[in-house]
Amino acid sequence: MRALQQVIDGLATGSIYGALALALVLAHRATGVVNFAQGQMAVVSTFFAWSLVQSGLGVVLAIALTVAASLLFGATVERVVMRRFERESPMITIVATVGLLLLLNGVSSLIWGYDLKAFPPAFSSGTLRAGEAAVSIPALGTFLVLVAVVLVLYVLMMRTRLGLALRAVADNPDSSALSGLPVGRLLMVGWGLAAGLGAIAGCLVAPKLYLDPNMLAGVLVYALAAAVLGGFDSPLGAVVAAWIIGVSENLAATYIGVIGNDLRISVPLLLTVLVLLLRPQGLFGRREVVRV
Amino acid sequence: MRRTWYRAGALAAGIIVLAALPLNSTPYTNYQVALVATYAVAILGLNLVSGYAGQISLGQSAFFGLGGYCAAIATARAGWPLPASFLLACALPAAVGLLIAIPAVRLRGHGLAIFTLALPLIGVALAKRFLDLTGGSEGLSARIARVPGWTGLDIDQWTYYVVLAIAGALFLLARNMVTGRLGRALSTVRENEVVAASMGISPRRYKALAFAMAAAYGGAAGWLYVYTIGFVSPVEMELLLSINLLAMMIVGGMGSVLGSLLGGVLYVYVPIVAGTVDPVRTTLLYGAILVLVLFLAPGGIARALHRTGDWLSDLGDDWRRRASAPEETRKVHGATTQRLPRARGGDRDDGNGSHRLRTRRE
Repeated sequence: MRALQQVIDGLATGSIYGALALALVLAHRATGVVNFAQGQMAVVSTFFAWSLVQSGLGVVLAIALTVAASLLFGATVERVVMRRFERESPMITIVATVGLLLLLNGVSSLIWGYDLKAFPPAFSSGTLRAGEAAVSIPALGTFLVLVAVVLVLYVLMMRTRLGLALRAVADNPDSSALSGLPVGRLLMVGWGLAAGLGAIAGCLVAPKLYLDPNMLAGVLVYALAAAVLGGFDSPLGAVVAAWIIGVSENLAATYIGVIGNDLRISVPLLLTVLVLLLRPQGLFGRREVVRV
Repeated sequence: MRRTWYRAGALAAGIIVLAALPLNSTPYTNYQVALVATYAVAILGLNLVSGYAGQISLGQSAFFGLGGYCAAIATARAGWPLPASFLLACALPAAVGLLIAIPAVRLRGHGLAIFTLALPLIGVALAKRFLDLTGGSEGLSARIARVPGWTGLDIDQWTYYVVLAIAGALFLLARNMVTGRLGRALSTVRENEVVAASMGISPRRYKALAFAMAAAYGGAAGWLYVYTIGFVSPVEMELLLSINLLAMMIVGGMGSVLGSLLGGVLYVYVPIVAGTVDPVRTTLLYGAILVLVLFLAPGGIARALHRTGDWLSDLGDDWRRRASAPEETRKVHGATTQRLPRARGGDRDDGNGSHRLRTRRE
């Protein structure tokens, strides 16, 4: 029974990793960039939501406003900073996102300071019991929000013209431009959506981790591992991988003495190594074909 | 030809200045310069894997810390002689790096960056776990520098000379490696893996090799750090150090040995010049400098300097040619003189991170 509880808790933490992983995958699918600043952008959004709550707004309303503001924020970051580097080698783009990470980290510490801040939970704090296993309502809420987001994303990317355009631009910006797609604007939309998703992830995890400028550094590692494990192009893959990571990390920390609580961060790495040795394209990824 | 002479002269002058400096400066300055050399070595290692092989590593601080612990534990605890602990501080990180690189290079695109992100976090956790060996969060005090009596030097002066001599040797080694066969192979891998493979250069093997060398340089830098500071703790492994080193490598100049040195200078002196030990502002400043350099001089400061140097020397040539040309020709050609592109010596632009080759994004 204890194991079942561990699995449930693992799914709950996995959902948090999954939310950020989704943002990473979305940014990657829409703009072809691995955004190392995704977590830091989410932290800025979460601080923004915290300020709104401090000024007297309800939590849910504050989060909704923050998500909307983050759409703009992400689009602005793309236009002002990233646009310059999109035609450069992928290496320069990654470094640019690292620069963004440092910059945003510095800015948020400058504005909001370093001390831990309590973030009010969006869900009430009760627990649901089924037999001996207990699920906390925040965990269940996070889980359900994630499932809803995956569904919405799936419909958006696969069933709408916007999704098709976003995928086209990520796959081949030159041909997309020739077919008349507004490449720049679509890239902005992609970054905006990713930032909005990141804001959701940040606000969901903040009550648990407490809010500070480095809140999501650890989560980013898990989220990147989940994205890699899931194949980096598949939203569903990222979420499933995040759940696998959450559960296995919890089980390993409980039942494998060597790993314990402090070394649980090594679990996603080991999992990724294992999977990639057997399946380099990730669990759900498509095999990449290079044309010379 | 003249450039070679300029270079040799500048190098000799630099060595003389660096050799004389510690005799007339404060211990504080001596330690600062030793730290510059230390971080420059770490950045140079990062440059091998990033600038030359085109893979981003965010794990350099893990190897830096590992090298530091090797120095502290092997020498201060187990009583190894210094050369032995230095070799260990290079070999152990290299072995760990190779072990990690083997699965990591299988990842497409920038797998190594994602992969290595976890290393500092695991390193910190491990350092705290093996409390008896590492001293946990408290860190480990290890004053391993000893001045031989015959030199008559103070401890800071001796440390300065030892650290600069080792760093200088490592820089020379790296320079010889990257200007030779290995450097060409790595550049080919960076520019186009398929082309590299078709020429018999295995991209995976070379990426793994570059990563192992980067780890060895990181470990050596960690050893130098402990030799200078006499202390190591999990803080030296933290992710922020990796990120800052990466940032300063880009600012200094990707794929440039000189750039690594500039990166080390900036890493140490930016916080000092900012007149603050406030970590908040330091991070902000590093980030701002990185983004600014990416916008203004994507090749880094070293490349910008190089460009300026070329421009000045072209200007000089132009002027000389015009001055020495007979009056007649000047009249004939003077109005429409178009400077022919000067034949550039070999592949000077090679490996300066300047490639604009459009790599198809996956």
